[in-house]
Amino acid sequence: MSTVVHYLNQFFAGLGAEEAADHRPVHLDGPQGPGRGLAGAGLTVDATLACGDDFFGEHEADALATLLGWIEELDADVLVCGPSFGSGRYGYACGVLAREAGRRGIPVVAAMTSDSPGVLAAEGAAYIVPTGSNVAGMRDALPVVASIATKLAAGETVGGPDEEGYLPRGLRVNALVDRTGAERAIDLLLAKLAGDVATEVAPSGDRVSPPPPVDDLASVRLALVTEAGCVPQGNPDRLPTRHANVWLRYDVAGAETLAAGDYESVHAGFDTAAANADPNRLVPLDAVRALQHEGRIGVVHDGFYTTSGVDTPVATAARHGQEIAAELREAQVGAVILTGT
Amino acid sequence: MEPRLADLEIATFAVDEVVEGTQTGWSDGRLTLALPQLAVGAGDPALAEATVEVVRPGDSVRISNVLDVALPSARIGGALPSARFEESLPSARIDDVRVHRLAGVAVLTVCDWAGAGFEGAEELPDSLVDMAGPGADRSPWGATTHVVVRCVPAPGVEVAEADRAVRDAATSVATTIAEATGGATPDDVRTIGPMPPADATLPAIAAILQVASEGPLVDTFLDGEPLGEFAPRVFDERLLHEGRLTNGAYDWPGVRNVTAAYQDLALLRKLRAAHGERSRYIGLILAPGYLDGADQKRRAAEASAELAAGLGADGVVCTTFSSGNSHTDTMLTVQACERRGIGTVALVCETNGGLTDHVPEADCLVSTGNEDELVDAWTPERVVGGDDRARVGERVPAVHYLGGLAETGDARWTAMPA
Amino acid sequence: MFVTALPTIAQMVGANRILRGVAITHPTGDPSLPPDEEHEMRVSLVRRALEMLGTEVEARTVWESTS
Repeated sequence: MSTVVHYLNQFFAGLGAEEAADHRPVHLDGPQGPGRGLAGAGLTVDATLACGDDFFGEHEADALATLLGWIEELDADVLVCGPSFGSGRYGYACGVLAREAGRRGIPVVAAMTSDSPGVLAAEGAAYIVPTGSNVAGMRDALPVVASIATKLAAGETVGGPDEEGYLPRGLRVNALVDRTGAERAIDLLLAKLAGDVATEVAPSGDRVSPPPPVDDLASVRLALVTEAGCVPQGNPDRLPTRHANVWLRYDVAGAETLAAGDYESVHAGFDTAAANADPNRLVPLDAVRALQHEGRIGVVHDGFYTTSGVDTPVATAARHGQEIAAELREAQVGAVILTGT
Repeated sequence: MEPRLADLEIATFAVDEVVEGTQTGWSDGRLTLALPQLAVGAGDPALAEATVEVVRPGDSVRISNVLDVALPSARIGGALPSARFEESLPSARIDDVRVHRLAGVAVLTVCDWAGAGFEGAEELPDSLVDMAGPGADRSPWGATTHVVVRCVPAPGVEVAEADRAVRDAATSVATTIAEATGGATPDDVRTIGPMPPADATLPAIAAILQVASEGPLVDTFLDGEPLGEFAPRVFDERLLHEGRLTNGAYDWPGVRNVTAAYQDLALLRKLRAAHGERSRYIGLILAPGYLDGADQKRRAAEASAELAAGLGADGVVCTTFSSGNSHTDTMLTVQACERRGIGTVALVCETNGGLTDHVPEADCLVSTGNEDELVDAWTPERVVGGDDRARVGERVPAVHYLGGLAETGDARWTAMPA
Repeated sequence: MFVTALPTIAQMVGANRILRGVAITHPTGDPSLPPDEEHEMRVSLVRRALEMLGTEVEARTVWESTS
């Protein structure tokens, strides 16, 4: 018998509405709310875990530790999160919980709108069933969720996104085919030359319009950000050299330059000799200061932000960008120079 | 004015079984190997140890620390003149150049560089071929019988010299066993010569083969010398069949071009087969990858495109060498060709993060698979090549299986959305 | 905006203001120059970066570091 665990927020678990959004995590027996609908679709929920959306958002580490602890104690074969529909906070919580459960080897199914922040937060760890923006979509979503969760719990193979009804997770799964890559290349090229263009792979489409130009540079606060792994000598906070899942911020208030010997690069993807001899070759603080003294820039932000961009999954890098951007906006930074290797 | 060049004949002898015996020889599909007599690495002071053993598909064996695979091959008769770039392309007529090759057995080289203590070698990714188990089909070489040449460098030897010794040991075995076919009748004879005239309305296709020469343990060799820096140039395919372009690059195994691939590229075989039917095959361009600066990359891309245009190409197939910024070289080459009105297809592998690089003009790509996909764990009965860096009992990313994702198009893996 | 020696990668991931850096190993430096000249080059590069920040651009635009 497989163990199915269901995560809900305070509202869907029947703990209360917005006034219960700060509810600590709770562990309830059997299905609650939409979990009963899953039973109707053939999936028996053994335990329901619920948490207030605000509690999760404000005490994420604490909430995760509790929830994941229960999930492991229960020895879950599959975790179902939501459906969270269009909810931002609830969707985010579902996505983060999915990601962390996924890292512990637990298969996860969630359901939310395709543009929910939970989709990015999940980093491909969950099978996410796309839904409409509100609870009217419950009746359509539950059978699809139940179907995928049943397969996962039984250790069966789940088919492709179109076949099973989930959002492409951004994963690409390998398959052995009849023709060699060479044969496929020639076939594709000849078809293209005859007017029929197709491709086996394309870049993922996340596009942002260019922000309007800074209208008064002389009064703007400018920050420096880098993926070149520039850190204080000795890497005191142990920035990983590859697969970095953190970014760091270091204070440069009053510093005119990044002196050799004070800073180094720990990026594993390039020869760091030139950069270590002069860290301004990665993070051009000396030049930025010169232009600040000249009056071309208003203020140089006190901190510079750094990570090492080697083998970093795109979803993680996107999250880093969002997090750093949030801090910069909070600090009223109006312009950024980002350097990359 | 084209000099008249003779054809290169490739005589292939099928091997259905490999047995050990007192005398090395080939007869009727049976290859007998006198392993002690193969004298692997004998007398080479750069090697402390060199052993040979036979490993077969289906054996519960994982081969680790794999460097290269080569087809047993021997030149019978004359040879094309030196292929060094600073000399002019071979212009003398050559007679009777015949290469004897064995099919169904390969020479596979193993050496634990990190174990030998070479600086930086611990950065080289683990390199595997599984002869059975869940990973057996992750490398095309899991389905071939191998004569495994395992070398241990002598202490104190400089890395390039040790690598030379390892490669020479393998070449010596590959040549000796191919020479065992002596005067026998081959199972197949193929001729590599100038392409016959074909319907001029068929699209003219050229191949751009990207290779890189970045120094010891990450190198590519022509006639035993590192390629070094070179400008894109039209390259004589016969040199590949003669086995004169060899691999010495031991980074990412999944996307590594082994010597056996250069000896018999699927791409060139298919282009020749399609000649006169669906297309016209008009030539091969050898191009550099991993160039260091943005300008260098752009100039080389433009040069490749110019050569393709000069050959009269309507379309080109662009291969990629390994992972990382070589993908930028590929994309810039695609861009330069497309801007000249030459249609392109490029072969690239993927990662969990998608494509490494892309340009808007790259609308036609072959995916050779996702490097990051995890392959189920396996515990074989035996590991050949060293237990360190063999990942026994661990899930292994696909990129660690030799040649499975090769961006020359020699393998059959691809990636699908999930 | 983004200074990198690999502007095509930057375009692919959707960066909009891209300035071509000097090299992979030193996007805002040039060890082949004497220190004074290198500093001047870097100031000039950052000046160009500021110019780009102050300019309206189309999506995924690449500028060279010298106009």
